Amino acid sequence: MATRKSPRQQQVEAALLYPVDWLDERTGIRAGLQYFLFRNVPRDTNWMQTLGAATLTAFLVQAVTGVILAMYYKPDPNSAYESIKHITNDVTLGWLVRGMHRWGASCFIILMFLHMGRVFLFGAYKYPRELTWIIGVMLLALGMIEGFTGYLLPWDETAYWATVVGINIQANGPFVGPFIGSILKGGAEIGPETLARFYSLHMLAIPGGLMALIGIHLFLVVRLGITSPPWSPVAAGRERDGEEAPTADRVGLVEPTPRGSASQGVEK
Amino acid sequence: MSSLEKNRADHKRYKEDVKREGKPFFPYALFHDSFMQVVVVAVIIGLATIWKWTAEDVGGGTNPGLLGSLYEEKADPGSTSFVPRPDWYYYFLFYLLRIFKWPDSVILGTVGIPTILLMLLLALPFIDRRRERHPLRRPVAMIAGILVIVAMGTLTWKGATAKEAVASESASAVPTWAAKQGFANDPVAMAGATLFAQSGCLTCHVYTGSGGANLGAPELTAEGSKGLGIDWQIKHLECPSCVTPGSPMPAFKALGADNLKKLATFLEASKGAK
Repeated sequence: MATRKSPRQQQVEAALLYPVDWLDERTGIRAGLQYFLFRNVPRDTNWMQTLGAATLTAFLVQAVTGVILAMYYKPDPNSAYESIKHITNDVTLGWLVRGMHRWGASCFIILMFLHMGRVFLFGAYKYPRELTWIIGVMLLALGMIEGFTGYLLPWDETAYWATVVGINIQANGPFVGPFIGSILKGGAEIGPETLARFYSLHMLAIPGGLMALIGIHLFLVVRLGITSPPWSPVAAGRERDGEEAPTADRVGLVEPTPRGSASQGVEK
Repeated sequence: MSSLEKNRADHKRYKEDVKREGKPFFPYALFHDSFMQVVVVAVIIGLATIWKWTAEDVGGGTNPGLLGSLYEEKADPGSTSFVPRPDWYYYFLFYLLRIFKWPDSVILGTVGIPTILLMLLLALPFIDRRRERHPLRRPVAMIAGILVIVAMGTLTWKGATAKEAVASESASAVPTWAAKQGFANDPVAMAGATLFAQSGCLTCHVYTGSGGANLGAPELTAEGSKGLGIDWQIKHLECPSCVTPGSPMPAFKALGADNLKKLATFLEASKGAK
């Protein structure tokens, strides 16, 4: 039953869609989103392959709780410790935000390692995903440095001395080692300048780098596609005994599914 | 076919397979991802809650609960209780430094091995260029991976359970040291010994059987037999890396000239246990 829209309805629809069309005309976002959401992934992907999304989630938790903490934290040796106490004891739900940031950091690190282990197990770092792996390793290193810079911020005894030794070790390095050491320290002793520098690195420089690299990482993941588990009998890209064309070996496992009816025969 | 051509053919076939028999990201994969995301957030909230509600507030600090105390004592650059302990994910590096001895090979532990590991990780896709992805048919990669996991796990565990020198226990050992080293009649050296025991020196250094051997710190039992002199010892304590470049030891200038003199006298009086 063909319903013809009244001119009025058409007008309303056009008005509502106008901003979307405006945006799409300039960015192509509609096609981009459509591709992102409805692109196919191998049908045999498994739960281990959600570790990347889990890592991203832990990072987002760090970003959100970090922004809130920065509203109350004071990067100065005289008040840093007290501001942490204030956040924990006085600010509404401050303990939760600080606790999530603190434990989220550990979760982020653990998940990065697990995610890397999964990629290693699947051999997913091989052609053509080498660059995705390299950026992942850079993310791991930056994430560890983010942990190191954040550790000093509460300005407590353990963190202070661990940072003293950490910077000394850094300054040991050949070539640029002493240079980086003195930049981190910002003076002869670890003090207000060091704390300000760690704060700035922890809040601006490193998170900025992490976000940029995560963006490239995700772009590459979407562009190159995710691998099938290598032991899967129906792995995408598996070698066939016969010729390239899909043959009888697939019959009975799953029907060749045209786009749009992919739910048939899909287990997961 | 060259291996690059084979790789390209593999990926082409992969793309075709995914297009023909794959499932759309939305809703299938996205559902799994979203479920996992909820789990991650829930775990983080759970940890934060357990941390807060099992640690009890006592006066200035807190008693540790299941997940440790809410805060340590405030940092004091002039403090003498020196216990450097990084966050847990640095324990493996922290403990690695015990294996190397100052001054010959400690640079290997501080800079060498971590840099080499990072380079190997970055270069992995270019080292392992075989097309094979199945774990059981990549024995070298799997064994190397397992060895790395076991090594890092062991080092992390050892770092987590490493014994720390307790200042009060160390101080009670001072008379024993004096008897062994024969400086009991020197009040300056005795004062230095007590200071040495209380200032956390034993967190890293070993002295007549006490102490930690952390961060590649040298044993000091026979420090006085090296003939370096009290002035050198004071200079070194004021700024270790100025005297021995590359030393990770913190500066102890904050202790004051008087205390440094005592410490230096004590070190010079330590000619080796008898």
